[in-house]
Amino acid sequence: MSKLWVFVAMGLVTYATRVTMIALLGRELPPLVQRWLRYVPAAVLAALIAPAALMPDGRLQWGAQVPAAAVGVLVAWRTRNVLATIVAGMAAFWLLRALGL
Amino acid sequence: MSAFRRGLLATLPLAPGVIAFGLLYGVMARQLGFAPWEAVAMSVVVHAGSAQFVALEMWNTASAGPIILTTLVVNLRHLLLGASIAPYLRGLPARWKAWLALWMSDESYALAIAAYEAGQGSAGFFLGANLGIGLLWWISGGAGAWLGAAVPDPAAYGLDLVFPLAFIGLLISFLKDRAHVAVAVLAGILALVGIQVLPGKWYVIVAGLAASAAGLLLEKAAPS
Repeated sequence: MSKLWVFVAMGLVTYATRVTMIALLGRELPPLVQRWLRYVPAAVLAALIAPAALMPDGRLQWGAQVPAAAVGVLVAWRTRNVLATIVAGMAAFWLLRALGL
Repeated sequence: MSAFRRGLLATLPLAPGVIAFGLLYGVMARQLGFAPWEAVAMSVVVHAGSAQFVALEMWNTASAGPIILTTLVVNLRHLLLGASIAPYLRGLPARWKAWLALWMSDESYALAIAAYEAGQGSAGFFLGANLGIGLLWWISGGAGAWLGAAVPDPAAYGLDLVFPLAFIGLLISFLKDRAHVAVAVLAGILALVGIQVLPGKWYVIVAGLAASAAGLLLEKAAPS
């Protein structure tokens, strides 16, 4: 696929989310919509994480990536730091693979 | 010191985090066959770190439709950011508002709204913060893509795992109470089912929208 027009389309939908409420002079969103929007990021991220960690080849499988992801969850919870999460998770993954898991 | 320069300098404490994430984004983009200029173009045009990581993760397995729609869903939270900062921008000309919205990031929004609430905010400060975060993000992404060629065979190192780990790190900051945790667990389960019955990457959108809507019911059932 041609990358540039995908970037432009991604940019346009992203810009729409940023400019809409600013252009509307700070009018309030309906409370129900506000509450719903608060849940969207957690839902989307979890929907990306679960298959990537548990079904890397399209089916459920136990591999080094599962405990590595668990280490990531623990470090993310304790540190709230994205980079620390990645470093700890990858270190756990490499260690487990070196141990033959 | 001008407000613009104060906004620009206010981003410096955030620089290490933005640069490290930008380098990682660039390396991963390069692994997927992006030229450095393409990685930078995506950063300048889209300018949304989480959404760009999500798009990279989907790039080789999804078509353009789900990538664009998922970008929209991931960025819907900007409606809340925009709504909360809009009252401070009320008196500005329309083109200033359009310009300030363009590169508003989570980080520059946080700096700007903190400045406004302390009575020190201004359009110039906001623009400086937007551009400060922007420059850090664009340049570090390009540098990462340029350096990314030095990583020979990413699959051998299991670098695919960087994506879910990055998403785990991002997810934690959105888990504000038990209802959010329940929504995340539900979305994960729906995604595991959806990946087997839905084509391409549509399971991300379906699970994301269904689980977030379920959150409205969950918070009624168990107020936390």
